[in-house]
Amino acid sequence: MAVGVGHDKLVPMWRQRLRIFMGNKLALTSGVYLLLLLLACFLVPIFHPTNQTNQALTFNAPWNQPPSWHHWLGTDSQGFDEMGRIFFGGEYSLTLGVLAGFITIVVGTIYGMVSGFFGGITDTLMMRLLDAFLSIPYLFLLITLITVFGRSTTFLIVIIGLTGWWGNARIIRSDALLIRHLDYAVASKSMGSNGWHVIRRHVFPNSISNIVTVATFSVADAILFLSALGFLGLGIQTPQTDWGTMLQSGTEQVQNGYWWEVFPVAIIFILVVVAINYIGDALRDAFEVRLLER
Amino acid sequence: MPTYIVRRLFQSLIVLLIILVITFTLPYFQPQGILAPAYTALGSRANPLNVHTWAMQHGLSGSYLGRLWSYISQLVFHFNLGRSFKQGQPVTQLIALYIPRTVWLAGVALAMTVVIAIPLGIYQASKRNSVTDYVATGTAFVLYAMPSFLLCILMIDAFGFHWPHLPISPPAGVAPWGIFTDPMGFILPVVCLTMLSVAALSRFMRGAVLEVLVQDYIRTARAKGCSSRRVLFHHAFRNALGPIVTILGLSIPGLFGGALIIEDVFNYAGLGIATVNAAIYFDIPTVLGITVLVAVFTLLGNLMADLALAVINPRIRIQGAQ
Repeated sequence: MAVGVGHDKLVPMWRQRLRIFMGNKLALTSGVYLLLLLLACFLVPIFHPTNQTNQALTFNAPWNQPPSWHHWLGTDSQGFDEMGRIFFGGEYSLTLGVLAGFITIVVGTIYGMVSGFFGGITDTLMMRLLDAFLSIPYLFLLITLITVFGRSTTFLIVIIGLTGWWGNARIIRSDALLIRHLDYAVASKSMGSNGWHVIRRHVFPNSISNIVTVATFSVADAILFLSALGFLGLGIQTPQTDWGTMLQSGTEQVQNGYWWEVFPVAIIFILVVVAINYIGDALRDAFEVRLLER
Repeated sequence: MPTYIVRRLFQSLIVLLIILVITFTLPYFQPQGILAPAYTALGSRANPLNVHTWAMQHGLSGSYLGRLWSYISQLVFHFNLGRSFKQGQPVTQLIALYIPRTVWLAGVALAMTVVIAIPLGIYQASKRNSVTDYVATGTAFVLYAMPSFLLCILMIDAFGFHWPHLPISPPAGVAPWGIFTDPMGFILPVVCLTMLSVAALSRFMRGAVLEVLVQDYIRTARAKGCSSRRVLFHHAFRNALGPIVTILGLSIPGLFGGALIIEDVFNYAGLGIATVNAAIYFDIPTVLGITVLVAVFTLLGNLMADLALAVINPRIRIQGAQ
């Protein structure tokens, strides 16, 4: 499925990639949505400040109020303005997700490539260690680490980041394992390139599509893990909040019919994870060398 | 091939040993160290003398290495995982009580996932960017993007209260086969778990098939006149299976531990709930025992995934035999 077949002039590669990415309307829409939401989360609280941290002030405020002119999305079970709280919690969820996801993909890629490419005893040792990590029930480890290191935002990022890369490493390793047997990698090695050179020039570029896909899932996963921690009461602590903690307290109210405490934040949350994934799909297509004109 | 299997089995045993050491060591890092369970049982301001007596009675005193050795030798020679601090009965008995329910939940969900996700992924890849692909991808994304507790609670709200057709909780109690007294109560948890894992797996299947469909050998197969059905199922499917098998092998601890939120929401007494309760109480022997068990399951899953990978891909098979 070559793009622009029949052109006489060769189009630069980055412009072909950009064209493939721009051709995906879903991804574009997702990008615009994420951008607007980011701006809203970080700018709206500056221009339209609502009280989100002072629990003494909300003590006498109306709790569980339905949407009104004064509170567009009502108030939650603690009396905080729900719309302001969505932006406030979004700052935490988005920052944490991106940073933790970034850690998982960097560590996972390096580990997976080294292990898969060098093979032999290196691979065996690294993979068995990874097997050990992967076999420890994730939640037990997370609970223990959070008990030990505390629940500050920095530690949450580091803990989710450093415990989330194991699956990434395995997926990227299986890529590297395949590529090292392909002719161009073998040829490059037989001409005397050292391992690191082959990884940089051949293995990494040829598995970039997988890395990008895995990376998008990682950011989404980090946001999801944070929400699961919120459900178990291990997330960001009140009066600070994140979307997972908001969803958790909202679901306690859903059977009372207080829909505004669950559905707005749920829809925004789900759309964020969906949007990140759509963008990942479009990026993968754009990076796919074989979709380019040749 | 047999040498490969034997070598992998040997490696798995070493991995199991590493896991044992890691999980055995983790409780030492609690703020109150290895004595944390004693403080949990006796209160945070307990008399140090009582704390030490409690620790001695429950096998927490002694040097680190001595405890580690006695734990491993008891496990290997007597199949004894110690006694639960909280329940007072042997951990092996506790596990035997909880495990059938979790295996039943996770097993049915896994089978349904494979049956639904793999054909769906292939179909989406072959009809890329069609309306069906967009709808299926969108649905999978929304399910994947939903925190699992939210999906469960919305399902309970929908089928338990708004259209009350399904029981919202499986029969209580931990009797292994008690669930069969009311199979209807089993539907919601299994459906929720299946929906969540299908969403994750069909994405990878679609990606894997797409990756294969642009390869040269697919073009060759098309050029020599293979029907598109044959290209898809004979040439593409086999090559795309590798990543899927790896993911399936990896998803086993996820199914056991990850069923945890499902078990919690539906009040389904399985291993997940047992683990969380034990962790809250610092019931170290129980947590350790369940960890070892899940680790064994995971290692078996990884082993089978690697073997399947070798069967599927001759390049890896030959490399493995050398």
